[in-house]
Amino acid sequence: MRKLLVTPIVVAALAAGSAAAATARVGGAHEAKKPSGAVTVSAAASLTEAFTRIGTDFQRKYPGTTVRLNFGASSALELQIEQGAPADVFASADTATMDKLVNAGKATRPAKAFARNRLVIVTKRRNPEKIRTIRDLARVPTLSLCALTVPCGKYAAQMLQAAGVTIPESKITRGQDVKTTLAAVSPGDASAAVVYVSDAKAAGRSITTVTIPDAQNVIAVYPIATLPSSSNPATAKAFVRYVLSKPGQQVLQRDGFLPPAATQ
Amino acid sequence: MIGTAAGRARRTRGRVPVAAIVPAIVAVGFFAVPLVGLLQRAAWSHLWDDLSSPAAGDALRLSLECSLWATALSIGFGVPLAWVLARLEFPGRPFVRALTLLPLVLPPVVGGVALLLAFSRDSLIGGWLHDWFGVQLTFSKAGTVLAETFVAMPFFVITVEAALRSTDRRYEEAAATLGANRWTVFRRVTLPMVLPSIAAGAALSWARALGEFGATITFAGNIQGRTQTTPLAVYVLLQSNLDGAIALSLVMLAVSLVVLTLLRDRWLGNV
Amino acid sequence: MSLEVAFTARAGRFELDCTFSAGDDEIVAVLGPNGAGKTTLLRAVAGLVPVESGTIALDGVVLDEPATGTFVVPEARPVGYVFQEYLLFPHLNARENVAFGLRSRGMRAHDARAVADTWLQRVGLADRAKAKPRELSGGQAQRVALARALAMDPRLLLLDEPLAALDAGARAEVRRELRRHLTSFDGVRLVVTHDPLDALALATRLIVLEDGHVAQDGSIDEVTARPRSRYVADLVGVNLFRGVASGTRVDVAGGEHLVVADPGQGAVFAMVHPNAVALYRRAPEGSPRNVWHGPVQGIDLLGDRVRVRIGGRLPLVAEVTPGAVRDLELDEGVEVWASVKATEVVVYAA
Repeated sequence: MRKLLVTPIVVAALAAGSAAAATARVGGAHEAKKPSGAVTVSAAASLTEAFTRIGTDFQRKYPGTTVRLNFGASSALELQIEQGAPADVFASADTATMDKLVNAGKATRPAKAFARNRLVIVTKRRNPEKIRTIRDLARVPTLSLCALTVPCGKYAAQMLQAAGVTIPESKITRGQDVKTTLAAVSPGDASAAVVYVSDAKAAGRSITTVTIPDAQNVIAVYPIATLPSSSNPATAKAFVRYVLSKPGQQVLQRDGFLPPAATQ
Repeated sequence: MIGTAAGRARRTRGRVPVAAIVPAIVAVGFFAVPLVGLLQRAAWSHLWDDLSSPAAGDALRLSLECSLWATALSIGFGVPLAWVLARLEFPGRPFVRALTLLPLVLPPVVGGVALLLAFSRDSLIGGWLHDWFGVQLTFSKAGTVLAETFVAMPFFVITVEAALRSTDRRYEEAAATLGANRWTVFRRVTLPMVLPSIAAGAALSWARALGEFGATITFAGNIQGRTQTTPLAVYVLLQSNLDGAIALSLVMLAVSLVVLTLLRDRWLGNV
Repeated sequence: MSLEVAFTARAGRFELDCTFSAGDDEIVAVLGPNGAGKTTLLRAVAGLVPVESGTIALDGVVLDEPATGTFVVPEARPVGYVFQEYLLFPHLNARENVAFGLRSRGMRAHDARAVADTWLQRVGLADRAKAKPRELSGGQAQRVALARALAMDPRLLLLDEPLAALDAGARAEVRRELRRHLTSFDGVRLVVTHDPLDALALATRLIVLEDGHVAQDGSIDEVTARPRSRYVADLVGVNLFRGVASGTRVDVAGGEHLVVADPGQGAVFAMVHPNAVALYRRAPEGSPRNVWHGPVQGIDLLGDRVRVRIGGRLPLVAEVTPGAVRDLELDEGVEVWASVKATEVVVYAA
């Protein structure tokens, strides 16, 4: 059984380990200070439903806090933060994007993995073109994929390459984030799209999903980190903690995400 | 000084109307500052390389081709429509006019969604086209042209209709008394008299088609070489290659400035 | 060749009711005040406005007859129309304007331009062939408009106020030239004007149009000798009364009456030329049977004559010499007596 991982297992384990340690450390040092005020959370588009729910729950748990959510493609959000956009927390759909920020000193190390996601093929309702495998994607007139600079686009390219399927660019419509990519199928007119399982779940009955067997699938690891430029570090850290805690994790897994590490 | 006639004359004749000049300067600044920002930020050293990338080249070529097609369609269908709206009396004319001008007030994305509902393979017309002719308008260059025409034609129609309304019908009557039938009257009298407005309308609708984003990306998607026009390419590049995005933006800016400068007198004279 | 019209036409809320016929042996001037319906008449004959009822026929061919559903479109009528503002196509030069109709009828451009050139020569504008309408003077534009209509060889020529847009200096000369062209044209000619001078200079027959109907129709001499409406009377410059004759007495409005020489019966017009009216400062004695008095309402000098307008129960205009005005010490408001010999009153049936 081969799992294709975007990052080495070592980093994932380290992230998981340091997350546990950091949680303990953070919890101990700031126990006295209650979270308050506003935080801006920039999160990958695929986290839209889950983080919206988590934001509401967080605000309910800590009255007096406001969670402002900014969703978009991880690569776009990274650019924004690099350019100095004010944000307190960043949650990315891949570790490469997070590493860029960490290495530039714009994200607090170590970033912690808080969820994993898998790819899935979505088609128009009732799958009129009878798409069953990755190979079938080659015969549809128009396929919707994320832009190659966006994590889900990179993942999809990996998946196609590993499956030995080549699709000419002239048949691919590129979305700037995973939600736009999905929208090209519904309400758009594209035949199929490759998005995350969580997005397919969120889209509900407007689309039909075609599962990709684990052997051919790509696992995306989602890291989260506070930003040193944050104006409300205490609440930022509290938010990260909440995401990693049981209630946060429950929301994520209910939305189709996998837990951050196989062991959890 | 104030008392003398010469002083009075100097004051009134040479006085600068501050109430008009100051807001005007602010307004000009409002338009100039972003432009200056673009020019200043541009990476002039590798501008040519940025523009010669395959994606940029595809986008520019596609933009030119699709916008010209959209303009041609706007003229071809717009002139008869403008004539009908200006010259023919029929029940419901105000409603028909409002309909043709709808894309002017509709957000472009909404226009794209409307086109989707009308022409996607699930729709009545789109399905018919697909099943019987194997034609799919969505995600195609034709779809881009369709979306651009949808947003651009109203500009043409409104310009030419206004011109037709303002031409003196008596010239057409004079032509009739000289033996010209309706087609000849249109061809040799009406059309030449509104030609400047047709040119202005064409330039306006071309500029609009060139800059269209929301309707095209929704209806025709974002396929490099096929539907990724320059505005889409800029949007894509914004998130990965800012210099490339700015380079393409400068091209669009230059083209627009040229068109609008050439349009100057005509537009002010006729619309 | 002849034009027969007997129709009613509507333009907005205005209704025109017209019956007459015109032959190619006469030049007809349609005279009337503004709003009388003159332009509506021309437009109906040209086919630019359909008639409501009646007929328009040219040379026996029906052009418009709602009753039978016949309507010949303007472009099919052999009618030449010279518009009041000329309406030369602004984007074409003089030659192209004149050639326009010919080319519309299918003539080749080259031939049409040649014909246009001969016509421009005939109106004396051969050297202005390439000029655009905005470069032409009023008189030149009028000539081009005329040439443009004549080039089509129409059987009926309509001119709408041909001299109205010209300044006084150009008018006289253009009038002379226009008369020359009209005389040499061998079809029916209808000239619409509000200026009686134009009518007199250009036409042989006069149709007076007032308030949407024909008030008078006859030769110039007939009309001027026997005005049948206030408008014509004012144009001609005579006093006109409408009344009922019983023998040699004509009762007119205002309770006054005139004594006339020729006995008559029934509705009549009574016309008195101003120079047949004598004025006194006191009630006169003598043979005149018609004597009235009233205040002087106005004194106008016309060359070496003076026109005195008198009010009262029978308002009239008298024409006297300046000397008489001096001698009588006439001035506005002064009470005068006016008398007219019975033999000077012209009476004719209404």
